[in-house]
Amino acid sequence: MIVVTGASKGLGRAICDRLTSKNLPVFGIARRIEGISFPCMSCDVSSYEDVKAVAQHFKKDKVRIDALINAAGIASMNLAVTTPPAVSRNIVHTNLLGTIYCCQLIAPLMLRNKAGSIINFSTIAVALGLKGESIYAASKAGVEGFTRAFAREMADFNVNVNCIAPGPIDTSLLKGITSEQIGRIVSQQIIPKQFTPDAVSDVVELLLDERSRSLSGQVLHIGGV
Amino acid sequence: MSDTGAIKSQVFDAIVQLIDDKSINITDNTPLIGDGSLLDSMKLVELCLSLEDKALERGFEFDWTSDAAMSKSRSMFRTAGSLAAEFINQMEATK
Repeated sequence: MIVVTGASKGLGRAICDRLTSKNLPVFGIARRIEGISFPCMSCDVSSYEDVKAVAQHFKKDKVRIDALINAAGIASMNLAVTTPPAVSRNIVHTNLLGTIYCCQLIAPLMLRNKAGSIINFSTIAVALGLKGESIYAASKAGVEGFTRAFAREMADFNVNVNCIAPGPIDTSLLKGITSEQIGRIVSQQIIPKQFTPDAVSDVVELLLDERSRSLSGQVLHIGGV
Repeated sequence: MSDTGAIKSQVFDAIVQLIDDKSINITDNTPLIGDGSLLDSMKLVELCLSLEDKALERGFEFDWTSDAAMSKSRSMFRTAGSLAAEFINQMEATK
């Protein structure tokens, strides 16, 4: 089973749709699960107890977990000095702690099999230090650091941990950002074009493939940076 | 042997299963982490998974990410005895 967080919309949903189209078994996790047509469970990843309930569900049903894709994430484009503390907390809780909680609680199910792949999500905003995205970038920089260190902790158990860092992909996360702003970010990529969720799903498939077993602790930038 | 004595013995047996030198006598004071510890980090995780299974057999969930796992001075992984004590505490807390 491949567990995907943030499965109801955006990149998470696109990844689920790609994997299910390849007849791969997907289990989605999202705060709202109405309209999801594959197996799923309601869960707020920023809640340790919610994530624990999901892990307990897998344990109880003896579900074999082959991969975890931590695509759940939120963004708020704002200068740090004008960002309310509740928003800062929410971004860090969901993006960073949400990723950590899912890894902490779901990875042990992979350790038993001594096999598995974990894919976390960062952003081009970390590498570029984008203005107006400092708190979002901070949360995702945490994800990158966690990925590199956690990859070493998991290596003994043959579980690979990598991170995908997309540029501005056309999803609901970009609402409120003008096409000019998107153009400015895209122009700083090595391949200066805006990629679609398909490009991200391609890299997800690559990382789930047995032929990528030599990759762990890496941050892969969609579009290059 | 009392039930808690039997459980402690099971925990110690689980430790022995993971070490190469089976002749080592596990006692309450046998260190699991830090200087002189018998287990590396990989073996420690394997021990946790093994105890998780034993807990399920006894009808409770062994939580190895609890606060008791973390404190340096009172970490459950400090010694074989402290680990057994925490395992028993968690079992009794669910009764």
